[in-house]
Amino acid sequence: MNARPPAPLLGAALAVFRKDLLAEWRTRIAVNALFLFAFAVLVLVGYAVGPTRLAPEDRPTVNAVLLWIVIFFSAMTGLSRVFVKEEEAGTASALRLAAPPPAILLGKYLVNILLLSAVTAFIVPLFLVLMSFEIKCPSLFIALLVLGCLGLAGASTFTAALVSKASAKGALFAVLSIPLLLPPLIAAVSGTQVAAREEDFKAGADFVRVLIAYDGVVTTAAFALFDAVWRE
Amino acid sequence: MRLVAEGLSRSFGRRKIFGPLSFEVPAGAVLGVAGSNGSGKTTLLKTLSGLIRPSGGCAKIFFDGEEVGAGHEPRDVPWCIGWVAPDLALYGELTAEENLVFFQSVHGLPASPGRARALLEGVGLSEHSHSKKSLSSLSTGQRQRVKLAYATLHDPAVLFLDEPSSNLDADGVEVVARVVAAQRGRGIAIIASNDPRDLGLADETLSL
Repeated sequence: MNARPPAPLLGAALAVFRKDLLAEWRTRIAVNALFLFAFAVLVLVGYAVGPTRLAPEDRPTVNAVLLWIVIFFSAMTGLSRVFVKEEEAGTASALRLAAPPPAILLGKYLVNILLLSAVTAFIVPLFLVLMSFEIKCPSLFIALLVLGCLGLAGASTFTAALVSKASAKGALFAVLSIPLLLPPLIAAVSGTQVAAREEDFKAGADFVRVLIAYDGVVTTAAFALFDAVWRE
Repeated sequence: MRLVAEGLSRSFGRRKIFGPLSFEVPAGAVLGVAGSNGSGKTTLLKTLSGLIRPSGGCAKIFFDGEEVGAGHEPRDVPWCIGWVAPDLALYGELTAEENLVFFQSVHGLPASPGRARALLEGVGLSEHSHSKKSLSSLSTGQRQRVKLAYATLHDPAVLFLDEPSSNLDADGVEVVARVVAAQRGRGIAIIASNDPRDLGLADETLSL
């Protein structure tokens, strides 16, 4: 019988991850879009708002909102490409016939996590310096960044798969992503304010729990629904 | 093994594309699908391969020893299917060799550049073409040869060839004939084309 079993999930996912990274390294389309957007917004925010124009009591709130706005819109700028480029280039059919759907989702999710992590690692230190944004609980801040990026990458990856066959991909991606990404953004912004005001991790632990729950739900839902989204 | 279509049809809205069609292709056979432009040849191949769902009926692949009435829908055994079509594209940023190694990995086969090179040389591509240049810098005919290597790298049980000789020179058409001949030993080939050279490779032809 010629019906051998499908490829192991992790091996196929890593192959998709490596292929996307290699293709991105050679074209740098998503990387350029993400980093140029992040850099331009950082410079604008630093110039227009700056550390001296904010009252000390307003800084945690305003800086937390601004930081997550930069991260959020950077994600919107580049993360949809993982699936959109497969449909636009005509490679989606080849991938559909070759790779198990969960492996494709996992590979693309890992690519988006890496891209968003790289942009966040670029944005955050510059933002902290430019805005003189003091964080009193770094462990809480780092936990919020990691979990927030996982949530943004997970929801963006799944939404990108949903919109990749549509004609108005850009508009549809924003329309579907924004309501999906508001809950983790609110938790991340609120938690970042706490991290800037309090030294105790426990003060912001509820926001960490919200993000863990969100990431778990989004990842589970994405893997449960992806097969139908990708093959239909 | 064999491929069976029972009452297979496809419509887009009220527009009927083909069917209902019923036919059986036994192991070692090559079926040609002919028809004018827009007659539904490509849609039939996409439906048979599981890339799109039929509006009615079904297509099933039966392997040796399976009961009549069992069988697999093509979409559930994608690793048994090879596919070449004009609207299929491989990754232009990668070389032909990197493309094949990637598809080996996602098919669950050992990632072997040596096997990829052998496949590419088998379809008449030189080492310079397949390992030094990105796929996007190859000619349309060379990319068509890479697609033939991609479609057969996992020894598929069913090989779907949509306009396989398009953009190929005389040597390339010979390559298609060799690929089809090799497929007879593995399973089934279904060729959709209007080119007499392609349809001449088939044992029987279905006209749409």
